[in-house]
Parts: sequence; structure tokens; C-alpha cells
Amino acid sequence: MMKMAAETIVGEAEWEVKIPKKKFKDKLFFENLRDVVIDTKMCSRCLTCVSICPSGLIVNEADNVDFPNYDTKCLDCGACVRVCPRYDYQPKSGLGDYIEFTAGKSKRFKGQDGAMGTEFIMSAIDMGLIDRGLFVDRNELWQTDVFHARNPDQLHRLPLGGTKYVFANVIPELKKAVMLSKVGVGVVGTPCMVSGVRKLQEAFPVFKEKVKIVVGLFCTENFHYDEVSKYLEEKGVDFSKLVKTDIMKGKFVATMTDKEVKFKVSQLSSILPTGCNVCTDFTAVESDVSVGSVGSAPGFSTTVVRTEVAKKVWDYIKEKGNVEVGEGKIPELDYLIGHKKAREANIPGYEPKKEEGEGAGE
Amino acid sequence: MKKVGTPDYTVSDKLKTHAAALGTAAKEMILPLNITTHYPRERKRQPDCFRGIMLFDPERCISCFQCSFVCPANAIWMKEAPSGRYYPTLDHGKCIYCHFCVDTCPGGALRTTKIHDVAFKTMEEMFTTTEEMVEPPTIIREDETVVDYVIDKEDLSLKRTKEVDELIPDVPESKGVPMVSVCVDRGSCIACKICDQICESGAVSSVKDEAAMTVKMSIDAEKCTGCGLCVKECSMQILRLVRK
Amino acid sequence: MIDMINGLISTIMNNPVNIPLLYVVYEFLLKIPVLGGIVAFLLDFSLLGYPIVRIIIGFILWKPIFILLLVPGFATLGTMLLVLPWLERKLVGRMQWRVGPREIAPRTRGSIQLLADSLRFLCQEVIIPKDAHKFYFLQFPFLYFLPVLLPLLFINPGAAGTPLVPLESPYALQIMIGLISFMPVFIMGVGWSSNNRFAFIGTVREAFMYFAYEIPFIISILAMIVLYGTSDTAEVISLANQSSWWNWGIVLNPLAALVFFIATVMATARLPFEIPEADQELAFGPFIEYSGIAFGLAYVMAYEKLYVLAAIMTMLFLGGGSGPVIPYLGDLSYLIWFVVKTLVLLLVLVNLRGVYPRYRLDQALNIGWGALLIFALVAVVWSLVLGGVL
Repeated sequence: MMKMAAETIVGEAEWEVKIPKKKFKDKLFFENLRDVVIDTKMCSRCLTCVSICPSGLIVNEADNVDFPNYDTKCLDCGACVRVCPRYDYQPKSGLGDYIEFTAGKSKRFKGQDGAMGTEFIMSAIDMGLIDRGLFVDRNELWQTDVFHARNPDQLHRLPLGGTKYVFANVIPELKKAVMLSKVGVGVVGTPCMVSGVRKLQEAFPVFKEKVKIVVGLFCTENFHYDEVSKYLEEKGVDFSKLVKTDIMKGKFVATMTDKEVKFKVSQLSSILPTGCNVCTDFTAVESDVSVGSVGSAPGFSTTVVRTEVAKKVWDYIKEKGNVEVGEGKIPELDYLIGHKKAREANIPGYEPKKEEGEGAGE
Repeated sequence: MKKVGTPDYTVSDKLKTHAAALGTAAKEMILPLNITTHYPRERKRQPDCFRGIMLFDPERCISCFQCSFVCPANAIWMKEAPSGRYYPTLDHGKCIYCHFCVDTCPGGALRTTKIHDVAFKTMEEMFTTTEEMVEPPTIIREDETVVDYVIDKEDLSLKRTKEVDELIPDVPESKGVPMVSVCVDRGSCIACKICDQICESGAVSSVKDEAAMTVKMSIDAEKCTGCGLCVKECSMQILRLVRK
Repeated sequence: MIDMINGLISTIMNNPVNIPLLYVVYEFLLKIPVLGGIVAFLLDFSLLGYPIVRIIIGFILWKPIFILLLVPGFATLGTMLLVLPWLERKLVGRMQWRVGPREIAPRTRGSIQLLADSLRFLCQEVIIPKDAHKFYFLQFPFLYFLPVLLPLLFINPGAAGTPLVPLESPYALQIMIGLISFMPVFIMGVGWSSNNRFAFIGTVREAFMYFAYEIPFIISILAMIVLYGTSDTAEVISLANQSSWWNWGIVLNPLAALVFFIATVMATARLPFEIPEADQELAFGPFIEYSGIAFGLAYVMAYEKLYVLAAIMTMLFLGGGSGPVIPYLGDLSYLIWFVVKTLVLLLVLVNLRGVYPRYRLDQALNIGWGALLIFALVAVVWSLVLGGVL
């Protein structure tokens, strides 16, 4: 998009850019990324590298993230390495810092439980904090797509709210939204995506400026569409009748219009993505606000308000009366927090720091 | 509801208007004022700023794509020349001769002529290539007279002079609008060096310093032609064009 | 049998149009050496006791044939058809600040434009719509010639004392009125048989216009019949031209002349009453489906009607063939004056196009049944008064 300046813009004619350190000095940056993250099966498929690559040639293939012809096409700029949350992996775990631990049920929207993720983004739009919110949309076959929402009226289509246990192209769409947006962008994502966003914001000020609110989701694992759809169809799930998917109390529940299919989540371990196997973050500790179903009554979403920005939005929501406030119970999260922290053991070459009292901050 | 009636005319008014009309008709039959230009044996004299077909000067083109972007009829498409640069080609079927492209060209590469009656024999010929836009088309002139419409207060008359109107006017060359590219958010630069690669005039340069682990980027305002390719291609969209 | 033939020949030979010029030419021709010999031989040539060539020439000069076929009958009509539209287009163009037809023969200012048009019509395909009633579609343009050309039989282009009528009849004017009243039926038939919605609208409008102008038209002719006291065209002219121009109909009864004029404009669908054929609305109204030679016929229909009505108007109101006598031409001078006056009148009628816009149908009906009718009735009263006085 070209912009011809009508008024004088003060800009730099000379500037310096720091490039990151290579772990393998005589290889290209992508090769570094591949050797450190992708080939070691640590890649979480957050797609942050895909979004930032200036040549646009890092692609999300079915098996893994790849860069065909990297030896001739990679510009060796180091952007992918700077933003990958698994490159210098500092695994986050526990409940994280927060200002308020509560639960809520949106009066405006219908979602998985209380639709608080949707409510936060939409209230941020109402407040004028952001002008775009990114949501994951799905078609009749539950294939995912990312939707840029501009006002609350667009959200009354049901498929936008509600969990889809499938990967989606959130971060690449976030980059596009950041380039297009004038006020700010809000995004909802899994903990790996949240980490990716934070790394983007650390590396490039434009993301810090433009990405104003990040909603994290409680996440144990995600799945690839091809694998999980095949598995579910074998279990008797008819996608055309599928209304809701849920993971509750260790069971995967697929609700259809005429019946329900339930089975133990552990049965899905055969199709568990390798990147999720090394993820220790259950509650998305780096987000502005975390939202999930565990820790509150059915129909309510647990809401962990972490930063000032999120608190402002939370107060606004309460002031406008758009939420029915419930109660969040911290102990209910302990099992899953511990379950994910245990995955530290799967990280190749990781030595956990021996610290006390860390992991369940207040 | 207001009713509007016909105005009241007396009989004498009506008769007077009838007589006036018939009188004018009779007068015109005998001494007509004829304002027909007998084209192609005569041509009306056009002003120098007349919007005819456009001619193109590749020397002055900086491949900024502005003509293509601004064209309201989407008639200008940029095609790659063997040198790697992009030059405009014009689809005369879509062109509405509004001359937005001529006005907007920063280098003044497009210019206007007084030729407005170009004929194409096939539809394919209407997609004019860049080479065809450089030279004016073959003109077969049948006219020997130039017609001027002279308005003297309320009288219109034609003045015919025996001369031939020059179709490609000698207008002073456009200086264009000098623009230069600057980076407005150096913190977000990822040093992908796409701007360096795409720059035609060598104004953007990047120097890698292995020891200090930095890349030094710079834009030379003197060399920069303001074509805007780096602004378009920057992956973080942090370059902007400003007036020199 | 032979008596009948002899009687026929004597009728023919004894009633020629008197043109002294021909004798002068004949005398001149005889003086030329070789040609004179041929001419003399031809004129004396005789077969079976009958001088054939003399009979033929006498036949051509026989009053009815000469007036009906040549001047001012078919031949003049044909020439008029070639000349009048071109004049119209040129003059209307001048009024509208443009040039009329120009490219066909630039040096002659495009005067052979009509010839070129006729050639084009001859070469064009006559398309008959699938849904049209074929019989009427093809026949009516031809049948239209009947009511248009028959009144020519009764038109008297002569002057006082020299009636040059092809057919003398005490009911001449009534017959002409009847024939003229019959013409719109054919136009309506043409439009109806085309089976096209625009033709339909044109036909209906033609019917309405027929309603509008017919009564005032008839009444104005009635006024003239009352004034002259006779409906025999031969006598009409004699009475009209007894003592030159102040006995012309237009001076004696200007109201009737005005009514007749406007009724003519309405009848021939000329602007401002071009309602059945409104070009911008109906694309030539009833004749819309005609192409090729049929279109040529349709085009020609309007001008023929115009010619006949203008001829009647000249005869009734403009004094027929009276005018300064041209020497050596004898009877022909009356005929030429008649044609000149008709031409002037035609030019006026045809060039109204450049001056006036079009009336709406209801406005035209208003005029026909309002002002025109009143004027016509007043004209009759005026004639009665004048007839009593004079």
C-alpha cells in the first residue's frame, strides 16, 4: 500500500538494525530456525515466523512449517528467529501474575461457555481502544478461517464464538490487520500464539503500538484439521450436524443436533501434535487476560485479568452491564496446570531452574 | 397540494410568438448561420491542453505505477520490459481520456496530443503496447482549413483560415513532483533488505557489519527518484514518500 | 366497331392541350435537313388508313392524359417525390444551423440524395415479421395508391375560362372528400397488420388524429362550396378567377383557408402534429416494421398525400393556374403556374418541421374539436353572408 505524504513526515534517512545471534554461524537464519525448533519437533505451529518473513516464503505445510528453496530465497534477515517463541525457549507455566481472578457470562454473545473472549474484544472496540478484532471462523465442515471483525453486529453469527480444536492462521492475519489498522488490533489466541505476539512486540515497535489487547485461552493441546476430522468421523461424528466441541473433565465431547459423542481425551494422544507435547503453559500467562472454561460454573468463563489494559476493559464491561459476574475457583485449575508443567520433561535439553514458589504466582 | 397551471398568454402574445418563430425560420432559410465543421476537410482548432491520446517517454518514466493506480477506468496496465523495469501499456477500449495519468505522473513521462480520432481495425489493436505509445500513430491529414468559433457578445460566427493545425503541441515539459522515501519507524525494520533489492536508482543501500551484528540502512535523497517501489514492497510498511 | 374506333380517335384528337410552343418546335424541326425529313415522314406515316404517329402524339396531348400523367399528375408527382424531401432536408438543416445531405454529390449539394435512397431501398431486404398478417402487410402500401391518386382526376389546374380537368363532374369535390377520408383506413391497416406494440400505438394515434381533423376539414371545403355555389371543379376555378387575385379563396374566406391549412398539417402528420409517427417516441409509428422497398413505399405515401392536399388547396384558395401568361406556352402556362404555387405551398408545409415542436394527442384533439371546428363553422357562416352579398 503506497502512501503519498500530504504533510511532511519526519523520517530517517539512515538507521541501524541489530541482527540476532546465530546458533549455527555458517548457516542461514532459516536453517538455524529449522535446526533448533522445527527438526527438534518443538515447533508449536503458532505461525509467527510465517507472518513476519519478508519474502513470505515460509509456509505452513501439513506436516510442519517449511521454507522450500531457502538456500536461494532466504534473505537471511533473522526476523523469524527473533520472533519464534521456541527459539530461545523460556517455558512459561503456572497461573502467572494477575490483577483479578473472576468469572463472567456475557449477556451479549453466545460462545463456548460465557463468551468472555468475544466480549473482551468487542468491548475494546466499543471503547475505541481497537478498531479490529481477530476471530477464528469455521465453515460447515469445521475448517477454520480468520475473520477481521469491526463491530459487534458482525459477531452474531454463531460459528465465530465457540472453541474449534483446530489450528488457525491467526498470527499471519494479525500482521495484515496491523498493517491495515489505524487505531489498534485485538486478538484471541492459544498460549503459543500469545507468546508469539509478545515476541513480535518485543522485537518490532509497530506491533507494540498496534496490538492493544491479547486474549489468551486456557489450552491443553490443539489438533491438525485433517487428523482430527478423520478421527472424529471414525468415532461417528457427522460434521454437518456438529454444534459444539468441548473438552470437559478429561473427556472430548462432540455435541451434534441429534446425539453426543464422548470419549477420553487420552485416546487422542496418537494424533497429538509434537509441538504441544513441549508446551507447559496452560493459562497463557503472557496475555492481557486469560479466558477458559475450567474454574467456573457451567455457562460461565473463568476470566484472569492480568494487565491494566485488561482491567480497564473489564471495568467498562461491568459498567455497561454486559456481563453477569460469577466466581472463579483457583484450585480447580491446579490439576491441569500441573499436567502441562510436567511436559517440561519433554523439552530436549532443557534444565528447569530450581526455584521455589515459582509457577503459581499471585 | 399546490396546483400549477399554465401561464396566461393573450392571443396577441401567441400570435406574436408564432410570427417571430416563422420570421426567424424564414430568415434562417435565406441567410443561414451555419456552424457545421466539415470534418475531415476542416478541423476545429483545439487548445493546447486538449485531451487527446497520450504519448509516452520512457526516459522520464520511474516505474512508480502511479498512472496505473490512478486510472479510473483501469485502462493502464504495467508490463515488464526486458530491462526488468515496468512501463505502462494502455487499453484504448477502456481509456476515457481523462488524463489523470498525465497529471499524476511525477516524472512527466506522459504527455497529451490533439489527436482524438484514432481508429483501430481490430479489438486486439486497442491494447496499445508501450512501443506504440512512444511514437504518434500514422496520421492521414485531409484537412486544409482550420475553423475557429468566434463568439462576439451574443453572436456566434465561424472563421476559417487556410492553415493546418499542429496535432502534437509543443507544451513545456512537466517537471514532475520530486518525492523522496524515508523510514518512519526504524525500530520495526527487520533488515530484510527488500528495499535495497527493489530500488532501481541505487538510492537505498544496506551495509552488514558482522562484527557489531548490525545492518546499516540508508536512503540517499539525491539519488532517490520518488518512484515508491520500496514503499510498496517494504514488508513492515515503514517507508513513506515525502516531498523533497 | 370501326365507327367506335373512329369516334374514339376523333374525341382524342379534338381535345388536346393547347401548346403553341409545340408548333414552333415542329416548324423548326422541319427546317433541319435530315431530321426534318424523318419528322415529316413520321407524321405522314399511316397504317390502315390511320396516321399512327399523329394519333399517338394526339393521345399524349389529350387533355385528360396530359394533365393526369404529366403535369400536374403522375410525372410531376414523381419528380416532386424526388425533389421535395431533399429540399425539405436542406432547408430544415439551414434553419437548424446545419447542412443537410451533402456527401452524395458534393458539387450539386447532395441533390441526388433521394435517388441514392431509392437505390438503397431497392437493394434492401424486405423483412416480414413472423406474427404480422402477411396479406394486409404487403398489400396495403400498394392499395394506398388508390385513394391518393384518384383525386388527381378531378383537380383543375386551369384558370378562368380554360378548365383543364381530366374528368368533369358536378360532384367532384365531394368525391375528393370521400377519397381523402378513406386514406387513414389504409394507414391504420398498415399499422394493425404489423402486430407490433409501437405500430399499435401509432395506429391508435392515427385514428384519434383522424377524428380530430376530419370534421373541420369537411366543413371548410363545404364553406368553399357554399361560396362558389358549385362543387364542380371546372366551374369553381372559373368563378374564382373572374377578375384576378382578389377573388382568390384565401382573400374571400381566409378562415376557411386557415382551417384547411391546419387540417392538412394534421392529416399528413407533419410537425406540429406529427403524432402517429413521433420519431422520438414511436420510431415511425405504423410503418415501423417496413424495410426495403416497402419502407420506400411508406415514405412515399406521406408525401403523395401531402401533394394531393396541397394541390386541392391551391385550386380552392390560391386561384388554381392563374398568373401572368407566359407567351408561346398556351395552356401549359396555367399548368406551370399551378405547379409553382403548389410547390410554394408544399415548401411551407414541409418546413414547419424546423419551427414547431410536437403537440400532445389530447392537445391536438382539443384543437380539432375546439378552435378548428368553431373557425370552420364561422367560415361557413361567413361564406353564406359573402355569397349573399356577392
